[in-house]
Parts: sequence; structure tokens; C-alpha cells
Amino acid sequence: MLDHCSISHQGGIVLWTRSFTPEASHIASSAASPVNSLIREALIESRTTGEKYEKDGFAVKWTFVNDLELIFVVAYQRILQLTYVEELLTALKALFVKLYHPFLTTFVASLHAGSSGKTSAAGIVTSLNFASAFEGWDKYFDTLLKKLEDKASQERKSRLRGPVHMQPIVDSPPLSDDQSTEPSQSEDATQDEQQIARNVQALKARLRGRGGRRPNMRSFDSGNGRDSVTNSDSEVIPKRKTTKKPGRKWGDEAPTEADMDSLNYSAEKSDVNNLKSPKDLQSLLDVTSLGSRTKDGLYEVKDWEFEINNTVSAALKTAEVESISTNSGSLGTLGSLFSRLTGSKVLTEQDLKPVLDEMKQHLMKKNVAREIADKVCEGVGESLIGKKVGGFQTTNSAVRMALSTSITRILTPKSSTDLLLSIRTKLSSPLTSTQQRIPFSMTFVGVNGVGKSTNLSKVCFWLIQNGLRVLIAACDTFRSGAVEQLRVHVRNLSVLGVDGAADSKGRVELFERGYGKDAAGIAKEAISYARDNDFDVVLIDTAGRMQDNEPLMRALAKLVTVNNPDKIIFVGEALVGNEAVDQLKKFDRALRDFSSGNGTGKERGIDGMLVTKWDTVDDKVGAALSMTYVTGQPIIFVGCGQTYTDLRQLRVSNVVQAILSD
Amino acid sequence: MNSSPVLMSSRTLILASLFVAVIAIAIFIFISRRKSQSKRNLLLLIGPSDSGKTSIFSSLVYGHAVPTNTSMQVNSSFLNIQGKRDPIQIVDIPGHPRLRDQFKDSLSSAKALAFVVDAHTASRNAAVVAEHLHSVLDAIMAIPPSQPLPTLIIIAHKCDLIKASSLSADTSALAVTRVQTILERELERRRSSQSGGMGVEALGDDSNNEKSNIGGLDCSGPGGMFKFENWEGGEVVFLGTSVQGSQSEKSVKGSTAPLMDWIEENM
Repeated sequence: MLDHCSISHQGGIVLWTRSFTPEASHIASSAASPVNSLIREALIESRTTGEKYEKDGFAVKWTFVNDLELIFVVAYQRILQLTYVEELLTALKALFVKLYHPFLTTFVASLHAGSSGKTSAAGIVTSLNFASAFEGWDKYFDTLLKKLEDKASQERKSRLRGPVHMQPIVDSPPLSDDQSTEPSQSEDATQDEQQIARNVQALKARLRGRGGRRPNMRSFDSGNGRDSVTNSDSEVIPKRKTTKKPGRKWGDEAPTEADMDSLNYSAEKSDVNNLKSPKDLQSLLDVTSLGSRTKDGLYEVKDWEFEINNTVSAALKTAEVESISTNSGSLGTLGSLFSRLTGSKVLTEQDLKPVLDEMKQHLMKKNVAREIADKVCEGVGESLIGKKVGGFQTTNSAVRMALSTSITRILTPKSSTDLLLSIRTKLSSPLTSTQQRIPFSMTFVGVNGVGKSTNLSKVCFWLIQNGLRVLIAACDTFRSGAVEQLRVHVRNLSVLGVDGAADSKGRVELFERGYGKDAAGIAKEAISYARDNDFDVVLIDTAGRMQDNEPLMRALAKLVTVNNPDKIIFVGEALVGNEAVDQLKKFDRALRDFSSGNGTGKERGIDGMLVTKWDTVDDKVGAALSMTYVTGQPIIFVGCGQTYTDLRQLRVSNVVQAILSD
Repeated sequence: MNSSPVLMSSRTLILASLFVAVIAIAIFIFISRRKSQSKRNLLLLIGPSDSGKTSIFSSLVYGHAVPTNTSMQVNSSFLNIQGKRDPIQIVDIPGHPRLRDQFKDSLSSAKALAFVVDAHTASRNAAVVAEHLHSVLDAIMAIPPSQPLPTLIIIAHKCDLIKASSLSADTSALAVTRVQTILERELERRRSSQSGGMGVEALGDDSNNEKSNIGGLDCSGPGGMFKFENWEGGEVVFLGTSVQGSQSEKSVKGSTAPLMDWIEENM
């Protein structure tokens, strides 16, 4: 049921990976693999929303080992609700670290050579053979995965069947058929039509019951259990369920057809399976003969298997114990006191909690939205647990430093903020002879009264100063005086000189069609007017709207789809607190939802932000952090005053300093 | 009688301590000089995401390429080359836009900067690659004149993915020229858009009056067109490499050979 599982170092080197389906392995080898997009979009940008990340129908869960800088990632189909993934991750972590600790430490040390002061010798690793180092791991992983899957399915069954007791011994014999391909292949063949039909039904039920309605599914399953009246039959079913699992174990070779079919429950596929396996007749006989055969064939591997088994179950137990012990206070206070005195200590959750809470309060005091402050602090805590704090560094300073890097990371733009360059690139892009040069268009959106028109005129001034011809489209056809306001701006701007010229007449014009008209139509007319009259840039001013007002948001999305502006700039005020998150989320969501429905298929969200009234907030600049966190888009400009020249670019270091200052 | 030995011993004590201090200082100077020598022995691997920095890193350090994910942190390791006294430090900087500025931390001790470009997708991502390279060029130009300039190596990576036409069998040469033309065109576009433009001031820096626009594209050539050979920031070397998965061990050695050769010769 899993699609992909990988263990990698935070520096990017993959230690071990496995895909369970051909599609997953194909995706995993490309740049768009779920692991890559998890790292790129969630982890690096510190935008971890909960402990689950979803991408292209995959659900991805992960866990860190901070002292060895490892990430364990498991990806599976989003529609499946796998209960054991968390447990699998913890157990994997414990087991892997336990088995390969010496190798891992040398490996990690080899990646930190030079930074730790110790030069040469220690740092030089001529060659590490990863393939041989993790040779036995596949077996451990298989055993672990199987145990957990069995346990999950047993749990499910025991819950639905109540008193009917499952014998845990059942799952040990099929374990040994890991190596022999033949028996389990025939076992897959034993899936008679009935079983497949049942599976299909179960899957349908699961799809229907998606969204956390597990009981629904369970009841469906139990119905199936009652269908098979006899006791012996009900025993066969769990056995099949358990024995079906090992089929997945050849995932690293090219999976066989039978393998895939056992995973794929769609109806057409199962037909194919039936055609391919004409052994339906022997279904029951095969099962009985199989047991002895496997036992015969695998005497020599039994010991090794057993050892693996033991280690795995030990790891499972320790994982459980760990999860308990983390809840039950700290033990060995004397030891921690001593290590605190001697300097280096390993950060634990208990150490971090008070400091992080304090930081959260601090962020909220700086006007960062509560939700964002929570998430940022959570991310910081996650990256610090298990880290060693050396020398004279206190927990507090370590947290502060991690917070500072985290905030810097969030605020640093990931796309270019050079508006002038993108304008010039568009204007200078080669055209065919029939094409006309299309002007660069920017749409300003936002709630009422944040300063859309005012800052639009500031941007206009800056563009004029750079020698561009600008057309302003008055698409606020709602508020009285909006068009007049823009007219005054245009009059002012055309009087101001550029490059020694007395005025900039002809460089800026207003395109207006009065009030009460359809904004999208006006914008379209404006763009074609600009194209015909050789304007470089069209600035589209829209009416302010509340983010919850659906008809108005639809109208805005229509404007966007019809005109497809090059930039959609969200204008928000720096004074906003918790509301910032809601505004941006809803604007972005509405634009995406309503614009994707109109046939073009491409979702269009906000491309950048303009934060206004920056001069009024002093150092409470949390809104900037909240806004960039929500969208991941850069703040292109900051408005900080009453005149046309009061437009600034955001400097990340300044904002970080302001947020962290006391 | 009694006082002279004390006097003597105190004098010898002073002398001895002086002697020890001198030796300590000498050792310190020696070490720091050695350090600064070995410090300028660093190869930085930079470039956009998915261009193959970490696989080059691993094939240099471990001798074979390993599968990689997007990096979240800097990798740094030493490479021993036969016939050289000091090992060469190789630092691999993540290419994610939010992490890539970390290369500035180790820029001062870098002997060479290897800017890795995915030759296969270079034309598609030209603008993004050029923006990254621009910031690197700017950083190199910003190095104070007292320090020697590091060499910029532009590596056209993943040459093996480029389909060679029947005329030129050498894919790496093809990849190198392709990458060079693409980058020069894109950087020229950036340069021309900046000249004569007026940037927006950055927030709250009225005092130090720093430029918000990045420069670093000055060229001494005719017409001011941007060409790497005329670039004022020093030497630019172009290399073509490729790395393959661990299944074909033989070709791996050969494919990063140009970089290896360059390192052996120049570092």
C-alpha cells in the first residue's frame, strides 16, 4: 500500500530508497518526486502544515533524526488511510539508527569536514560504499513493514469481529517465504473471483468512506466476514490477507504482474489476473501444500530470519517505549544537570517547550498572526530536538538563532522580485510579424481601504521614472470617487518631470468607462487600447472587496481569467494581525478556484504582495512574516508614506531584526 | 647566599616563561599561516536546484555517484589528490533560492567556484539560472581587491542527456557552447535592462546608501555586450561533465574527469 519509502541525509544524499510500484519509481527518479517537493516546498520553506504533506495524489509523512541529520520519508496514495505509517516511521528510525550507527556517524562526519576545525585525516573518506553498507537492510525493512501491516490488519479485524480471536502465530510461517518466489506467486493466483470482488467492494467502501469515516468501512468489512459463514472460512480470509502481503517484497526488482495485481484492486485488472492464472481450481489445495514447501526450502535461512525478526520486534518495542517515555516526564535529572554544567547537551522537547512558548508570545507581540507563530515555532522545535548544544550556548540562544534563520528563510523571495526586468523581458521578447506587442499588465487586488489606488500611483510614478509609458485602467466601478481619485493622480504624475523634461505628458494616461460597468470588460478594453497606442504597462485598479464575499470574488476571478495579467499583486496593510492570514488565503483560494474552472485549466494565484502603511507600525512588522508564510510569494514593495516616492523594497535582514528585537 | 638562588631561579623563570611565550607565538603564527594557506584551497559547488551539485560532490568525494534528493543543508568534505600536500575542501551549497546565499559565507576562502548548470534544461530555465549566476558574479565582483579573485568554472552538467547531432560527436563540447550562449544572452538582457534603470530604494538604509540593484556584469569588451571572456571579474572556465547512476561504474570515472583534471592542475 505504500508507494515509496526513502532514507536520506539532509545534505541530499539518498542512503536507501525503494518504490513499490513502477509509477512511483518512475516519479521518484525524476525531479518532481514527492520527496523532492516535500523538501522544497514544505521543509526548506518551513511551511510544514501538520505532519502530513500532500502532493499530486500522494500523501507524504516524514520524520527527522536531528543528530545524524537524516530524514525518513514515506509516501503513499492519498486516498488510503494507513494507520501504521507513523509507527513505521518511528520503528524505521530506531532500527536504522541502531543498526548502522557507526557507519552513519562516519558518513555524517565526512560531510562536515572542514567546518568543525579538525582538518585532514578525520575528514577524508576515500570511499564509502553505500551499497554494501546497507546490504542487509532490505530484509529488515521487509520484516518490519510486514509486521506492521499484519498488525494493522489484525487490529482492524479484531475490532470488527470482537471475540473471534486471531492467533498471532499465523503470521510467522509466511514470513519465511520471503526468498522463494514460487509459492507466493501461486498464492496470489489463489485469489479467486470472490475474493477479488470482495476487495473491489472494500475499496469502493473505503473510497466512499474517505475523510476519516473509518467506522463505515469497518462495518462493511464485517459484513463480508459474516458472508463467509463457517469458522474455517473466516480463518482462511485473514490468512490470505496476511500471505498476500509478502508479494510486495520484490519491489526493488521489476515487480511481477501478480505483484501488481495484488496491489491493484480495480476491476479490470483483476480480470487480467484471472486470465493469466488458470490455476483457480487448485486454490485450496495449493494453500495447504504451500506451507510444507516453504518450510522445506528455507531451513538454512531460518536463523538469519529469526535474528532479523527479533531485532525488528525489539525496535518496535523501543519505539513504543520511546513514545511513552517522552510523555512521562524527564528521568535522570542529575545527569542532565551534570551535562548542563559541562557544556554540551542534547536538546529535548522538555527543554525547548518553555523557550518556544516564550518565542511564540514574542512573535505574537510583534503582530505575527497566531497561527503562523505556532507553525514557525513548531518548525523550529522540530529542527532542534536531538541537536547538541555545545559550549556556552544556552537553549535560549540556540532557539533564537534557529528562529532567525527560519524567519530569514521564509522571507527570502524564491522568485525574482525584479519587476523592471520582467517588464523589459516581456517587451523585448521576439514577436512574429503578425503579432502585436502586448503590454505588461498588473492587477492590484485587496480588501477595502488598504491603499490600492494610492500605491498603484506610486508604482506608476516609479515606472514612469524608468522611462515606461503607463496606462491606468480604472476598474473600480463601485466606490464613488474612485475614478476621480485616479484622475487626480494621473494629472499630478503627468506634471512631474522625467529625465530633465519639464513634464511627462503622454507618458501616463487614464482609461475610464465610468461607474457600474463590468470591470473585466473595462480591463480588456484598456489592454487593447494600450496595445494599439503603444503603452508599455497597464496598471489595473480593482474595487476593494471583503474576502468572504463570494459574488465579488467571482467577479475578480473573472477579471483575472479574461485578461490574464502578468502579475496579480495583493495589497495588504501592515496593521493587520490575525486577519492577514484569512485575507490572503481566501483571495488566493478564490482566484485559484474560480479561475481554474473556466476551461483554461491553469490555476492562477497571487504573484506578489505590496504591504502598505509600513510607516505606521514601527517594529511590529509581523504582518510581513504572516503574509509571506501564507502564500510563499515575495513582498515586492512596501508603501511607507504619503508621497509618490515613498515606495521601498523590503530588506529581509531589517525585518528579521525588527521581529526579533525586544 | 640564600637569596641568590631564589633570584637566579626567578630570573630563569622569567626567561623560561619568555621563551615559552615566544615558542607559543611562533607555533600560533605557523599554524595560522598554514591554515590560511589551506584555507584558500576550497572548491564551491553552486548552481540552481536539480542541476547535479550533490552528485558531482559525491562522485568527487566518494568516487561514485549516489542517488540524491534536494539538499537542505551544506555538504562539505575533503578530497585528497595524489602528489598534493593539502587535501582540497569541497563544499556543496543547496540550490534552493532560499538557501543558496549561503555560498557567501565561504566565498572568501574559495579558490574556485563551480557553477553547475543542467545543460539539458538550460534553455528552459534560462532566466532563473541567469538570475542565480548574476548574484554569483555580483558577489565575486564585491570581493575586496586585496584578495585574489576565485576562478569561476561553469560546468555544463548532464551532458549525456544532450543528443549529439551527427556532425559533432562530442556532446560535452556541444553542451558547453550551448550553455555559454544561453547564459551570455540572458545576462546581456539583464545588463541592458539594468543600465539606465532606476531601482527602488531598499527599506531603511538612508544612511549607508547601498545599491539595491546588483551589478557585477561589467564588461571591457567592445560595445559593452556581455561576454564571459571580457568579464572583469576574472577568469571563467567552461567544462562539460556528466554523472551516471551507480549501475555503470566505469563511465562515472570518465565523466567528471574534466573537473578532476582541472582541480589537479590548478588547485
